[in-house]
Amino acid sequence: MNQPVLSIRDLRKSFTLHTIDGRTVNSLRGVDLDVHAGEHVALAGASGAGKSSLLRCVHRTYLPDSGSVRLRTDVGEPVELTGLDDRSMARLRGRQFGYVSQFLSAPPRTGPLQVVASAARRRGLDQAAATEAATEALRRLNLEKALWDVDCSLLSGGERQRVNLAAGTVCPPRLLLLDEPFSALDPANRAAAVELVASLAGDGVAVLAVFHDLDAIRRLASWVVLLADGRIAREGAAATMVEELG
Amino acid sequence: MSTTTELLAELDTEAAPAGLLDEGAKREIRRAALTAVCVPGYQVPFGSREMPVARGWGSGGLQVTLAVIGEDDTVKVIDQGDDAGVNATNLRRMIAGSTGCAESADTRDATVVQTRHRVPEEAMTAEHVLVYQVPVPEPLRGVQKSVAECGRMHAEADYSAMWVSLYEDLVRNGMITRTTGYPVLVAGRYVMATTPIPRWDVPRLHHSEQLNLFGAGREKRIYAVPPHTEVTPLAFDDVPFEVEHAPGARCRLCGSDDVFLVEAGTRGGYLCSDTEWCARVRAGDADVDAHRDRAPLRLLPDPARRARATAAAGTPRPHRVRPPRAEDAPEWALRVDGLGKVFGPLAGGDANATVTGTGPEHATAISPATGAIVAAWDVSFDVAPGEALGVIGESGSGKSTVLACIIGDELATAGEVRLAEVGGGRTEVLALPASARRLLRVDTMAVVHQNPAVGLDLRVSAGGNIAERLTAAGWRGYHDIRRRAAELLDRVEIPLSRMDDAVRTFSGGMRQRVQIAKALATDPPVVLLDEPTTGLDASVAAGVLDLLRGVLAERDVAAVVVSHDFSVIEALTDRTVVMQLGRVVEAGLTDQLFHDPHHPYSQRLVAAARR
Repeated sequence: MNQPVLSIRDLRKSFTLHTIDGRTVNSLRGVDLDVHAGEHVALAGASGAGKSSLLRCVHRTYLPDSGSVRLRTDVGEPVELTGLDDRSMARLRGRQFGYVSQFLSAPPRTGPLQVVASAARRRGLDQAAATEAATEALRRLNLEKALWDVDCSLLSGGERQRVNLAAGTVCPPRLLLLDEPFSALDPANRAAAVELVASLAGDGVAVLAVFHDLDAIRRLASWVVLLADGRIAREGAAATMVEELG
Repeated sequence: MSTTTELLAELDTEAAPAGLLDEGAKREIRRAALTAVCVPGYQVPFGSREMPVARGWGSGGLQVTLAVIGEDDTVKVIDQGDDAGVNATNLRRMIAGSTGCAESADTRDATVVQTRHRVPEEAMTAEHVLVYQVPVPEPLRGVQKSVAECGRMHAEADYSAMWVSLYEDLVRNGMITRTTGYPVLVAGRYVMATTPIPRWDVPRLHHSEQLNLFGAGREKRIYAVPPHTEVTPLAFDDVPFEVEHAPGARCRLCGSDDVFLVEAGTRGGYLCSDTEWCARVRAGDADVDAHRDRAPLRLLPDPARRARATAAAGTPRPHRVRPPRAEDAPEWALRVDGLGKVFGPLAGGDANATVTGTGPEHATAISPATGAIVAAWDVSFDVAPGEALGVIGESGSGKSTVLACIIGDELATAGEVRLAEVGGGRTEVLALPASARRLLRVDTMAVVHQNPAVGLDLRVSAGGNIAERLTAAGWRGYHDIRRRAAELLDRVEIPLSRMDDAVRTFSGGMRQRVQIAKALATDPPVVLLDEPTTGLDASVAAGVLDLLRGVLAERDVAAVVVSHDFSVIEALTDRTVVMQLGRVVEAGLTDQLFHDPHHPYSQRLVAAARR
């Protein structure tokens, strides 16, 4: 296989809680991980193992303490994200990253179509193309058209999660980070969402995901990494790992 | 005891007239008049003894006349166009009596004409000095009460407030209604009041043959229009200057219709304002053909060319196109390096020694050395086009001081500010003179203040407030200004039906919207927002916030948003700096600062924001 899209080396993250007593909480204690284009890596592990922290460190929502996170963009040499200046990181995020968290973080008083279209805009589409792509993405996830211009805060959990997924996957980014993206979906919508994510591998998107159920891992992942206490406990091809975990 | 008759008998009526002005006072006035001639339209202050007439009754004109007149001269005095009025007669007698000059009511014989209200209808020549009795010399008085500020506006040729008053007149009345004192631009430099003459006489100042001297006794100012000087009435390019005219009106006595006419009292009809001219026309002693050629007939009112009639006509002014970015242009639009502001004494003039012992690690902003307040110190950041930077911190952390130093409301104690548009980013903005910095605020760096009353003139209409910024940037088309203002107000969701209402009548949220529209009027590359939603109630603040998010997203501006409110910062910005006790304690991506704050103060701030 060629060079990985995402390459993580000895990534460490701790939190110093000044407001309590200055205690330090370790979250990641040295993680090494590669994700290639079209590959789907699932993170597994008990809660508190550092799955979400790892995603957030890649996204720079958390600032890693040390280690390396390198992203191979469509041009030039891989970019080291941990030391990248904030402005470049913000731009890179908009163009190259999709980040779907458990909770929708839409700007207040904006509707699904606007949220998804602005994500497509950030990835380089013009306004008309972005609106078209957003329409397509929302339709694919079966979000009722009557809700497209309704303030996102009025939507149900499952509806918000679909808006989030649409924004993360529209005009597919180079790297997609998924943090329990299906947790609030009912079976029918969940199937459509899984189908959508599965199709992204064909588009060459590198996916790093946290799922709360083995079903999704079984259906989507090609490689599974088991985290425990901020370290990789075990990893392997999805087929064998799922059996072990199950 | 002596009787009045005895006292009068003692008077020697044949004795040489005593001068009303001593030679020293005359020299002072002549000096001022010479300066005024050298700097056409500029108001020169002078000092003189009091005149034996009430101030406001021609004392200024009288002083000038007495200083320039000699025994060989012939004086004529006009009051309201009339030589025979009580005031005119008394002044004429006083001048002739105290200087020994001749007096005449005939302009052709006169060499010095002192006037209130009129330029004679008779042709003025190089032999004439025309002295105007000026009641209010300051053309900006109506728009600016502060004498010092008027002086600054003249010095910097900053006349946008004057243009706004013309704009407001047109909006309210559909035409210029100002009669006397119409503002003119003299020799392309100073705006001058043509008080006390009517609009009819204003064109007679342009490239005039005679020397015009204006004397204001109350305010002790002299100004001048020398012969052959360019005098242009202020008027928008597409709304022509007009003189007074009533259709079909002619003088009831002499029949003239090409003169300045006044209403003839209770008997109706009109009369010549210039009584000398009227009498001579009737006596056949006037060159009426030559006079008709001189009359401002091409400036008669034409309803078809007025503002409301021509609203739809004309092509809109093309949108401002900024020059393409130079190859070596910096990535940022605004860059601040090591900015600092200390209020109070510096220790031995050394700012660094003064700030030692202040800041978050010392938990104080008060200098242990001198007690000075270190409002901001060592603040550095830059903002790129299309990017918004947040500055967050509690009240008193120095956020607004930093903005005030950048825009020039406060003088920074230390640091440097650069703008990519100024000298390619190599010019240190803080070192520029105040006038240059003020110009930057017109079209390079706009500010939205927390209090709309600071950024707006509440007495002026919403459109007029935008016109203020546009005229300052050189816009001179009335309809262009209207179109642009309407476009901006529409963008900020102010109903166009309110465009011509004074901002004073607007709610707080609407005022803030108008302020945002004004800030965006010239498409500045940098916009600074100081607590833009603070002070508005929640639902209104939300609307303004949504508007700001929209306008920042659709423009390629570099924005700095100062706020104590994390929700504002989160909604508007990509990156944020956190300030405490005048220092930047942390900088990062906005979502990173919110989810993973490192500095103890940032952590407290984030914890407090979670409700």
